[in-house]
Amino acid sequence: MNAPGPFALYDCSLARYASGRYCSNLRELLEAVRVVPDMVLEHHMMRCALDDHFELYEFPNDLARWCWDALGDHVLAESLGLLDPYRLASSADLRTALVKVIEERLWGMERVPWCRPGLELHLIGSRLMAYDTGERLPTLAALVEGMPRIPLRSFYYHVHEARRRRGNLFDDFSAWLEERDADPAMVVKLRAIDFYFLNLNQLRLEFIQIFRQYLPDAEVKKVAP
Amino acid sequence: MSLLDRYEEVVGHFEVQRLRQLAERLQGKRIVHVNSTRVGGGVAEILRWMVPLMEELGLRPRWEVITGPPDFYRVTKAFHNGLQGFAVTLKTRDFDLHNEINRENAKKLNLEADIVIIHDPQPIYLPSFTPAGKVGSWIWRCHVDASRPNFAVWRYLEKAIPSFQATIFSMPAFTRSLPCPMFMIPPAIDPLSDKNCQIPEPERIETLIKLGVDPERPLLLQVSRFDRFKDPLGVIAAYHLVKRYHPELQLVLAGGTADDDPEGTEVYNEVMEEAGEDRDLKILLLPPDAHRTINILQRSAIIVLQKSLREGFGLTVTEALWKGRPVIGGACGGITLQVHDYQTGFLVYSPEGAAYRIRYLLRYADKRQRMGRTGHDFVREHFLLIRNLRDYLTMLLCLQHPEGDVVVV
Repeated sequence: MNAPGPFALYDCSLARYASGRYCSNLRELLEAVRVVPDMVLEHHMMRCALDDHFELYEFPNDLARWCWDALGDHVLAESLGLLDPYRLASSADLRTALVKVIEERLWGMERVPWCRPGLELHLIGSRLMAYDTGERLPTLAALVEGMPRIPLRSFYYHVHEARRRRGNLFDDFSAWLEERDADPAMVVKLRAIDFYFLNLNQLRLEFIQIFRQYLPDAEVKKVAP
Repeated sequence: MSLLDRYEEVVGHFEVQRLRQLAERLQGKRIVHVNSTRVGGGVAEILRWMVPLMEELGLRPRWEVITGPPDFYRVTKAFHNGLQGFAVTLKTRDFDLHNEINRENAKKLNLEADIVIIHDPQPIYLPSFTPAGKVGSWIWRCHVDASRPNFAVWRYLEKAIPSFQATIFSMPAFTRSLPCPMFMIPPAIDPLSDKNCQIPEPERIETLIKLGVDPERPLLLQVSRFDRFKDPLGVIAAYHLVKRYHPELQLVLAGGTADDDPEGTEVYNEVMEEAGEDRDLKILLLPPDAHRTINILQRSAIIVLQKSLREGFGLTVTEALWKGRPVIGGACGGITLQVHDYQTGFLVYSPEGAAYRIRYLLRYADKRQRMGRTGHDFVREHFLLIRNLRDYLTMLLCLQHPEGDVVVV
């Protein structure tokens, strides 16, 4: 059996495009969630992580944020904020879950909430272009040492996108470490990171903290919070 | 030192390296940009850095300029305004002239390329008069808000759209439903330009004194044309509401009037009247090339306002955030993408709201400084030209690989 190769570091970039559809109220959001292409829902529920590096946002997805900020519907925002698309098996399941949450909220309402003009939710889709940076991290120590300078977009590709690629099971980093017979407890801990709840900067810090915990001698440079 | 090396100092070595790696996938691609002027205006400003940077990244870009008689520019100016929803009067012969000039330019210009990017409506009909096979793909880059255009103008321009493989808009709110992909590429600022570069302290102080601004006292600033949609009177009202609590406060409204905007002078006069004899309130009518002066004012302000009632992307907000200033902005257009409550500034809905937030930020220096730092980082990540270039390269790769939600290139 061949020894596992070095970790191949990828970067990625999003091409975003307008769907031409926008919502001004909750009923329009429900209608849109029912019919827009999968990649529009995936963009607003998952890929929007690439837009938030500075803890600007309270919620991990665009829909929760819009309901909170623009519609002022805090109850629905809280429900949508808790909806974790990575725990759902498919885009169809994500759509069903979103429809259910919004429909239930609308059911008991006497007045449909509207946003102010200018704060409409413009629905966009995206395609992700990933590319090999050519950078190879041959050992665990090299991976740990490289963590602080790995771009946040790479974290998205190797954690969020990897989950989708690997059937929501695990990320590329822990998969590679497992192949190299790393401490199983560390692998478990990495896989247990609540990555959807964190922004990409926080996610990187979480990885570094776990490495520090399990590899106290490794050289992990400090990352500015 | 290459141009890209200079940007490394701002965004870091790895970010530029990643850009180079992305561009490797597009080596040798012949890209032609076409617009209507080499000097003046936002598009020319963008192309002045984009073309050499694309070249340095190994693409083969060129920049062509459509030319015509003065009447052609009168018509295209009307198109520009009409596309943004302003009332314009155009006759059939104006549309004919536009068509004819595009036909002539299609013969004159060297358009042979893999991709031709047409900027704004002036050269939009070039594809119709270019022999098939000369150009791989046509892309229309619309730099303005085209969501509610003048009917006659749009009816004429939309007939050109089927020739394009894709379009680019600055934000989704600026689009209309079109039969081809509408890529989103927000505009960006150049951190090394006169408008945004670091300024030596003696120069800053000297300029402020020349302008009659006290460098020792807190300064509020709004940079914008004298236009009702920028609500300069609302800014003055907010300043008056705060001044009674902070008598040391100064306000500068800095901007210009456009030649093609007859209302500008009227608004300027109203603003002057409202400003009255207050020596702490300065109205500065600046020439279009006063980039360094604007830079200095932005760096000297304690808070920057952009209290617009309607706004495009709002690059003045981006510039202020880049300089570490919290921004109080009207909740409209691209301001909502950049100003996040308690993070990079505050969105407001009235002069009273602006006044309240000014008082808040004057009171809490620590929060003001934290917001300034967040704003600077936010712009570095999202609205510098390196990101803009990355978006262009990604879009080109997307067109090269039309299938798949996730593509490894």
